[in-house]
Amino acid sequence: MLPLITFIILRPAMSKRSTKAALSPWEVVALESFQTPEQTQISQWRRSWRVVTAWMVGKESSERQAKQESELRALPEVKLAHWAPAIDWLPTANALNNVMKEYRDAPVVLFISPPHGGHASVVSLWAQQQGVNCLPMPTFAELTDGSLEWVERCGHQRYWAIPSLERHFLRHTQGLQGVRELLERALSGRLGQGVIGCDSWTYAYLQHAVGLEGVPVLTLQGLEGKQLAHYFADLARDGKCPPVYSTRTGKLILANGSDESTSGKNDDVHKELQRLAAHCRGHLGIAWHYWRERLREPAERCNTDEQPQEELWLLDALAEAELPADTGDVATLLLHALLIHGGLEDQALGHVLPFSHHEALSARLALARQGILDCHQGRWQVSPLSYASVRQLLESRHYLVDSL
Amino acid sequence: MDDQEQYARLFNDIDSQALVALGVILVSTVLLIIVSQRGLNWLANRLHGQLRFRVFALVPLTRLLILVVALAIAIPIVIEPSLRNMVTLLGALGLAIGFALKDYVSSLIAGVVSAVELPYRPGDWVNIEGTYGEVKHVGMRTVEIQTPDDDLVSVPHLKLWDSAIYNANNGGISLQCVASFYLHPEHEAGWVRKVLRDVALTSAYLKFDKPIIVVAEEKPWGTHYRIRAYPVDPRQQFLFTTDLTVRGKQMLNAAGVTPALLPPSTALDLQSSTSQ
Repeated sequence: MLPLITFIILRPAMSKRSTKAALSPWEVVALESFQTPEQTQISQWRRSWRVVTAWMVGKESSERQAKQESELRALPEVKLAHWAPAIDWLPTANALNNVMKEYRDAPVVLFISPPHGGHASVVSLWAQQQGVNCLPMPTFAELTDGSLEWVERCGHQRYWAIPSLERHFLRHTQGLQGVRELLERALSGRLGQGVIGCDSWTYAYLQHAVGLEGVPVLTLQGLEGKQLAHYFADLARDGKCPPVYSTRTGKLILANGSDESTSGKNDDVHKELQRLAAHCRGHLGIAWHYWRERLREPAERCNTDEQPQEELWLLDALAEAELPADTGDVATLLLHALLIHGGLEDQALGHVLPFSHHEALSARLALARQGILDCHQGRWQVSPLSYASVRQLLESRHYLVDSL
Repeated sequence: MDDQEQYARLFNDIDSQALVALGVILVSTVLLIIVSQRGLNWLANRLHGQLRFRVFALVPLTRLLILVVALAIAIPIVIEPSLRNMVTLLGALGLAIGFALKDYVSSLIAGVVSAVELPYRPGDWVNIEGTYGEVKHVGMRTVEIQTPDDDLVSVPHLKLWDSAIYNANNGGISLQCVASFYLHPEHEAGWVRKVLRDVALTSAYLKFDKPIIVVAEEKPWGTHYRIRAYPVDPRQQFLFTTDLTVRGKQMLNAAGVTPALLPPSTALDLQSSTSQ
C-alpha cells in the first residue's frame, strides 16, 4: 500500500516539475532542431495584410483596438525596472555549458542568436563562469587594412571564447582575411578549444564567405506563447506581476503573478502571447523588448485618490515602426549591411556599402528618424520592434537572411 | 443578283441594335484592356522577386483573353457563323492579308505566340538583334524594350520567327553579370583569382544562392579575368557590375598588378572581332 500512496503523493509534484521544465525558456539546442513557434507563417501573412489594409483604408482605420492608446500611458522607468527587468542570461550560459558536454571533442562550438538575442552576454557569462579568456577583438583600422596582427595576438590556450564574432570581420575586400585566418586556426584546433558567440545573420554570411561546414552550432529554442507567459509572469522582481490585458482584444493575456493554477487554466489567455511569440519568431530577446516597450498603465489613475487594483495593458505587437512597401534599394542595402555586421558605426558604413559615405549617412539618418534603427554603444542596429518587418522585407526581396 | 444575295446571307442585318451592341463590345474591350494592362503593370511594379515576373507575364495573356472573348461575342452579331460563311470570310481575309498586310498580321500572330510561349515578358532582360534592355511592355504587334541608355525601342514580334532572342533572366530573378579585368601577363594568377572572388563575396548586391565563378583566359596580350556572379535583383545588374569593377580595380592597383595595355593594332583587331 505504501508505494501506491507515495506514487499518489509524488505524482503532482513530479508533474509540476516536468511542466516547469517544459515551460523553461532556456533550452539550448542544435541549430537543426530550432523551430519557430506555431503561427509564425500566419503572423507574416497578417503583417502583409496589415500593410495592404493600412494602404487601402489608412493606418488608423485598420487598427481597431478595444482600448485606445490615448487612455494609457507609458510606465515610468522605476516600474519597468521592477516588472520588466533586463534578461538575466545566466540560465542560458548554464544550459549552454550542459549541452556543450556533448561536444567535448569539437575544437569550436558556435552559439548563435538573432539580433538582440544575447549571444555575446551568454558566451561572456559562460567564459566568466569557466574562467576562460576571451580573445581580443581587432580594431577598425586592422579590419580595413586587412592586417592579421590581431590574429597573431590570439595565441594557443587550452580554452578560449569569442563573445561576438560579428566584431571580427567587415564585409570589405580587406575585411575577410582576418576572420578567415582566425577560423582556420580555430577549426584546426591550433588555438585550443573554444566557444564562439555569433549573430545569426553574421553566421549566415560567413557560411558563404568563409565556410563553416561541420562546426557544431547551438542556439536557444524558439519560445511558444505559454513559455513567454511563464517567463513574463516570473520576470517581476517580487515574482508578482499585475494582470496584463491586450489593448487589441481587451482580454486578459497574463494572469496575476506566477500562479500556475490561474495562468494555466485557460489556453485562450496565451493566444495573445502566442501571437507575440510568432511575431518575434520565438526569440526571447525581441519579445522582451516588446514587453518592456509596449507595456502601458491606465492614464487616469493619477487623478483618483482611491487605490485601484493594479493592471497593465500591452499594445498590439504588430503596430510597431514598419518599413513602407516601397522602401528603396539604398535603405534595403543599408539594413542588410547592419544586420550582417550585428550593427555598425557610422564610419564603417562607407566601407561596406556601394555608395558614398554621405549617401549612406543620410539613409541611416532617415531610417533612424522613422524608428527603424537605434543606436547601441555607438553602433547603429535594427531596432528590436522593427526587426520582424525588416527581416520579412529582406526575405521577400531575396536577400540573404538568417536561419532563425 | 445571286452574288448579292449570297453576300447578304453572309452578313447579318446590321440594324441600330446590332450597331449599339458592337459599340458597347468595342468600348468595353478597350476599357477592359486599358484597365487590366495598367492595373497589372502598376501591381507588378510594386512587387519584388518572382511574384513580380508572374504578374508581368499575365499582362499579354489577359489582353489576349479579353480580345478572344470580345471576338467570340462580336462575330455572331456581324455574320452568321456557319462553316460556309467562315470559310468565305477567312478566305477573303487571307487574300487581303497575303498581299497587303503580311508583316503586320505576321507580327500580330507572333504576338499571340509570344503570349503563349513566353520568349519574353515584361521585366525580362533580352537581346534581340543587338538591342539589349528590359522588356517594358509586350503589345499586340511590338515588344517595347528600354535600353540602359533609357531609349525605348519597339521591336516587332515577327522577329520571333527568324531571330535569336537572348533572354538573360527568363522570367526569373537570376541574371548573371560579368565583370572583366584585362591584366598584364606578369602577375600571380592564384592570388588574383582569390581576390576577385572576395570582391564578389563582399558586394552588397550579391545573390548568395548562386555560384561565383572567376574565369581566367590567357590571351596574346595578357590575361582576361571574368567574375561571373548574380545580383539580388536583375535591375541591379549595372550597379553590381560597376561595384565589382571598381573594387576589383582598387584591389589590383593596390597590389601593383598592372592592366594589360594593348598596342593600337591589336586593339583594333579585337574591336573588329568583337563587333563581328
